[in-house]
Amino acid sequence: MKQNIVDVVKIRQDFPLFEKGEIYFDNACQSLRPRQVIDAVNEYYNEYPACGGRSMHHLAEKVTYKCEEARTIIANFLHAKRKDEIIFTRNTTEGINLVAHSLGLKRGDVVITSDKEHNSNLIPWQVLKEKFGIEHKIIFSKVDSTFDLEAYQQALNNNVKLVSLGLTSNLDGVTIPAKKIIQLAHKAGALVLLDGAQAVPHHRIDVQDLDIDFLAFSGHKMLGPSGTGVLYGKYTLLDKLEPFMVGGDTVASSTYETHEFLPPPEKFEAGLQDYAGVIGLGAAVKYLSKIGFDFIEQQEQALNKYITEELKSITNLVIIGPNNPAQRGGIISFYIPGKDHHQIALMLDETAKIMVRSGQHCVHSWFQAKNIPGSVRASVYFYNTMEEAEMFVRELKKIVSIL
Amino acid sequence: MFCILAFIALSIISIFSASHRELAKEAYDCVFRRLTFRPCTTGFKEKMKAKLVGRLLNRSAVAAKLLNKHFELLSWILFLTTVASIFWTGKGLFNFYMYGSCNGLNKSGFCALDPKGENNKVSQTGGSCGTGEGDESKVTLNGVNLDLFPSENIGAKDEVVLIGCYSCDYTRKAYPLVKKLISDNTVNYTFAHYPVKEETLYLLPIGYCAYKQDPDKFWQLNDKLFSSEKSDIARKEFVDTLLKGIGYDIEAINTCSTSPETNSAVVERRIELEKTNIYGTPLVFINDKGLVGPKPYRVYERILKGWKFW
Repeated sequence: MKQNIVDVVKIRQDFPLFEKGEIYFDNACQSLRPRQVIDAVNEYYNEYPACGGRSMHHLAEKVTYKCEEARTIIANFLHAKRKDEIIFTRNTTEGINLVAHSLGLKRGDVVITSDKEHNSNLIPWQVLKEKFGIEHKIIFSKVDSTFDLEAYQQALNNNVKLVSLGLTSNLDGVTIPAKKIIQLAHKAGALVLLDGAQAVPHHRIDVQDLDIDFLAFSGHKMLGPSGTGVLYGKYTLLDKLEPFMVGGDTVASSTYETHEFLPPPEKFEAGLQDYAGVIGLGAAVKYLSKIGFDFIEQQEQALNKYITEELKSITNLVIIGPNNPAQRGGIISFYIPGKDHHQIALMLDETAKIMVRSGQHCVHSWFQAKNIPGSVRASVYFYNTMEEAEMFVRELKKIVSIL
Repeated sequence: MFCILAFIALSIISIFSASHRELAKEAYDCVFRRLTFRPCTTGFKEKMKAKLVGRLLNRSAVAAKLLNKHFELLSWILFLTTVASIFWTGKGLFNFYMYGSCNGLNKSGFCALDPKGENNKVSQTGGSCGTGEGDESKVTLNGVNLDLFPSENIGAKDEVVLIGCYSCDYTRKAYPLVKKLISDNTVNYTFAHYPVKEETLYLLPIGYCAYKQDPDKFWQLNDKLFSSEKSDIARKEFVDTLLKGIGYDIEAINTCSTSPETNSAVVERRIELEKTNIYGTPLVFINDKGLVGPKPYRVYERILKGWKFW
């Protein structure tokens, strides 16, 4: 553990925000960026701010090379079979929407989600239900907030075309048993789309090992620039999908009447891309790989364990999700009946510059169903320290004592 | 209630601080929603409450707890005091505009817009200068025989009376304004010399005799006495030169001013002026409304014309 502390101190030097004395516990919303990522973005704008994949000059070639390098880095990071399985998007939401609108789902097709989905993995299916008459089934979690495999198994049938689940919940940090879920889905003839927004930044994901069909995640939750994301898809599936958004750079050629789409991933990357973002995301993945998930998980669990233990002493405080912090990754989402979650979050900021999120965390459906107004969510990452956790607990106790 | 309070406070701060304008807009949105019977969905109150309580918590947990617990009550108290403060500020501005004093007509308390009380200062009849400590509400023309004093445009509908002293700085300040007022408007104008300093006491009989000898030339004399240096008009030789320059018969005036009949006339006029309850100069009456101290021109004109605003 002492080794970790030394490492964290060194790591924190890469993050400019820490120089200001801020305590950033809102990593589930967006992580901080190390200098390496910021430098990569700046390098693009300063040294080769050109179009990729179009022009022939040397600056454009460099952009194309750097973007493809980022694609390769991300493919390797996920252990994808080929880099063409990586589609750059703006965020997880766009990745999920791309699949939702490209799969060609029709009336009677069933899509399964869980009761803890982020709006990004709920609204698209509600819209398809309204537009095309698909059926949307929800698997409700068990009492301990873990995934109900039994209920899931019962819901699977020939009509289920897609199982779309959040791999790790942004509400309580619980990670679903993806391997088993995917096996069962495939057995039933369904495809699986995973919302990896809260999983990919924190856990090693091997898309081949898990046999994932589609995986959407955001760059900005894993040290990457804002507005960057990735949709991984098995190449054979991507090849069959109709592009969701079409236009520039998606076609090999066109006439006034016809067009010929490029193969994946180009056919899904319409219009001029966020080259700086893509290159920055490549740098972020490189950085994460260097840190290593063993350390990331160990650090998050240590912090979560400490905070969970300390929060138990606060009267009436309810932690959303399993009691065991090891099942909640880096997320500690809690509420105290009768006390305003927004006020707690704002006061943490005011008293000690501690940034947490408050509200319903884009999982309104879950909060509405449980009749809970909202929660305070502290989400830690590998660069957070035990001292910060101690400060958080101390300030929280102080605040709660006067509310 | 807090939103309204915050909107008022932030609007004022926003005049000087651009960084507070967004907050003011947020507060306005909240207030507007409340006024249109919709819930305030911005969370503005909660945000501000948390910030205030949080900031206080770093200094005193007890104070923070109290603020948190009684936030609404404190908001109400602050709101009411703010409203009262705005009301009094507005009233002060109105009074200053209308009467030249934040406190109202002939009220001599502190006025932020006239911090030295220049518009209320008078040379007191006791001889010293001050901000007027007599009973300002009692000045009146009731029962005062103005026929005894120099007048022009007799019979005009409006009436202006200036009771002042040639050596009083405040009368000297008001005099050109009153002159402008009577030259811009047709009014029955009466001037009464009420010396508050000994050095100009001797001008009482001279003025009486000058008006008696030639009423038209008297107004020239009056102008010259107010426009000359105070030290000069304290010397009889200087005043003699003035009288001579205007065309008065100096010998006749000197004879007149020392006569017993003049002496009793001067005393009679002095007694008559006391009926106004004068306690300092200048005292200007415009259509029976008495104004103590030199007022801005807008005040004189507004009262003369009966305007609500100038």
